[in-house]
Amino acid sequence: MSGLGGLNRLSRLATVVRAGLRSNFGLAILKHRLFKEKKDRWLVPVFALAGLGVLPTLYGIVLLIKGAYAILAPMGQERALLTLGVLAGQLLILLFGIYYVISAFYFSRDLEFLIPLPLRPSEVMISKFAVIMINEYLTVAAIVLPVVVTYGVMAKGGIGYWVNAVLVYLALPVIPLALVSLLVVAMMRFINVSRKKDILILVGSIVLIVLALALQIGLGRTAGPQPSAQAVTAFFTSPDSLLNRVGSKFPPSIWATKAVAAGFSSEGPANLALLLGVSLAFFAGIVVMAEKLFYRGLIGLSETTGKKRRLTRDEMSRRVSSGRRAVAAVFGREWKIMNRTPIFLLNGVLVVVIVPVIFVLLANMGSGRGGSGGGGDLSAILKTMTSANPLFAILAAALFMTVCGSLNGTSSSTFSREGAQFWISRVIPVAPREQAAAKFLHSYLVAMLGVVTATVVAAIVLHLKAVHLAAAAGLALVAGVLLTVVGMIIDLARPLLNWTNPQKAIKQNFNVLLATLADIGILTAVFFGAKALIKAKLATTVVLGVVFLALAAAAALSFGILLRFADKRYPEIES
Amino acid sequence: MIELTDVSKSYNRGKVKAVDGLTLTVKPGEIFGFLGPNGAGKTTTIKMIVGLLRPDAGSVAVEGYDVAKEPLKAKQVTTYVPDYPAVYERLTGLEYLNFIGDVYGVPREARLDRIGRWLEIFELASVVTNPIQSYSHGMKQKIVLTAALLPAPRVMVLDEPLVGLDPRAAHQIKELFREHCDEGKTLFFSTHIMEVAEKLCDRIGIIHKGRLVACGTMEELKSIDRTEAGQSLEEIFLELTDK
Repeated sequence: MSGLGGLNRLSRLATVVRAGLRSNFGLAILKHRLFKEKKDRWLVPVFALAGLGVLPTLYGIVLLIKGAYAILAPMGQERALLTLGVLAGQLLILLFGIYYVISAFYFSRDLEFLIPLPLRPSEVMISKFAVIMINEYLTVAAIVLPVVVTYGVMAKGGIGYWVNAVLVYLALPVIPLALVSLLVVAMMRFINVSRKKDILILVGSIVLIVLALALQIGLGRTAGPQPSAQAVTAFFTSPDSLLNRVGSKFPPSIWATKAVAAGFSSEGPANLALLLGVSLAFFAGIVVMAEKLFYRGLIGLSETTGKKRRLTRDEMSRRVSSGRRAVAAVFGREWKIMNRTPIFLLNGVLVVVIVPVIFVLLANMGSGRGGSGGGGDLSAILKTMTSANPLFAILAAALFMTVCGSLNGTSSSTFSREGAQFWISRVIPVAPREQAAAKFLHSYLVAMLGVVTATVVAAIVLHLKAVHLAAAAGLALVAGVLLTVVGMIIDLARPLLNWTNPQKAIKQNFNVLLATLADIGILTAVFFGAKALIKAKLATTVVLGVVFLALAAAAALSFGILLRFADKRYPEIES
Repeated sequence: MIELTDVSKSYNRGKVKAVDGLTLTVKPGEIFGFLGPNGAGKTTTIKMIVGLLRPDAGSVAVEGYDVAKEPLKAKQVTTYVPDYPAVYERLTGLEYLNFIGDVYGVPREARLDRIGRWLEIFELASVVTNPIQSYSHGMKQKIVLTAALLPAPRVMVLDEPLVGLDPRAAHQIKELFREHCDEGKTLFFSTHIMEVAEKLCDRIGIIHKGRLVACGTMEELKSIDRTEAGQSLEEIFLELTDK
């Protein structure tokens, strides 16, 4: 290839990547809305406020890392903190990666425009890869950055530390993403899964969640309960033994740790070179694979699926509905669409069931072997705390149930999820308040499912009395109404309807984040309210009664506001 | 009946005037064809009739119901087919039709009859239990048309309904339009196909830069002063919109 040809290819690649980033992140639209139409300017202060809202949580995380550093440093084990941060980040990349890779490589709608263009398969794939990389940088920032920055400040890292930290951060998603890409592209090429893409996304995601859990539990077990005194001494007197143990499951996290911690001196450059070299090799691997396999896996994706079969007169008669009320019809539509769209299902019904179960596994990790492992301790501590103070037990259990039931994206994406089909809701002769009520029933049902699972979990982990469990569940159910309605109001104020990939409606929807922050705010207010009542030395039943009634009043009021807001807002949403 | 009275709509804070003082009445039993170049204001007008957009000024009434003041009554008698068949891809065709039947309150017997008939006509009977996601563009268009016909509405509003249909389906749709209006119902549709408008429509309106530049029967359009005798609709259209 001539030098000029190479340059041309590079500039073409840059163009494709730039176009991919612009279209995916909607920069042109945002610019148009902010500066031309001047429509979304109010969002700037909201974003700033949301950013401020995250600060207390961030401060808490930083304090935690500082504390861990102070404990680990005298034993020469502080680098394990970096390894943990990097490993957690990479695990997260693996988890989210599978959605991102499958939907970006195979199901984004711009592929039908890109494939006929005179571009190489690898160029199209690299543009998609770049979009996923940016998404991943944003996803892992919350975990990796606090660790790296706090460590750097505590360890007084020099220029080498910070330069290497930036390089390692940039390289971080490459290896896990390339692994997922290799897996997915090979699967799409060699197995005829394209027709079962929904099942593929679902099963793939669950397998990865299970793997991540197994790894987590495996790490817990490796840390091992009841070690001998000599083993403990040997472990802690050998520098970085914890780092090696934690990172042994995924060596790149060790290279990353050493590259950052050592900076420009001693083992820093060699480990950085190793990390960057292996990342580059993986990247080259997916480029080669893209050329050979990418388009072949794509062929046939747009084929019509489903068998052709005429219904008999009887079958048709059975399947044609005899007429449901409008609220039931809208509820049925919500339920079916949510559960049949894998990304929505994972963030709705599945998450409310899985999160409490993960909690059981974590809380019981290491138990059964003397109960002195990390997780076993958690379970024991919880039991001690809750048995000493029933009021605390009920409130803590109610908080846990509320978080499990309501902190998901179901209510705060309920209007956004309609996307380009929102016109149907606008033209059907069903009052907006009725449609909002049906959507509330759907979101609340998902929340209730979470509360029920969490109640079972609380019964197992906390060993609460039935009457305490019932009181906690009652509080969680009424709090669930309030949080569901708040999520819906936030989404209705500015629904995200112009998505082409369902992932954007729920995973990259700012309303979901905003609703989570609002929920945290409400729960904090309830916490301080309950604390004030406890300080006033009121009886347990009185405290619970007041909290319940206050939540119920707020829920009823907010529901009324939602219905009125729906009537006002629906006609304003121009679709 | 559809009545638009001095309706205006602009975008971008008034900088782009999409529809400008439009007054128009479509009578019961009439097929009304709405023509205009790209960006002339056809889709904006249609969206205001079905309540998807709110006029900045003027009023829109369907069967005597003001779309802004009595939206549910207006919607109950109107169905709409958009220019792009964006429907619930995760539902089956039959589930979508059931949903539409439920929200419009179509009685069971009528529902069975009509669904059976339209599915046969549009050759969708063998795929109606498959997810809409698996349909071709034309099949999606047909399921949206079936859903729009299901409530047997007094008024149908369609934005370029023939795009994406095969010749057989297009032919059947035209016959259905006629049948619909012969029952005294109203049909308003936009199109770029001059031949269809010329043969099918009782009256035609031509919109250009947001203003109605001509409106009437074919004969009336042909008698407009500026046009020469024997001109086709295409020639009239080109002359009226050539500015």
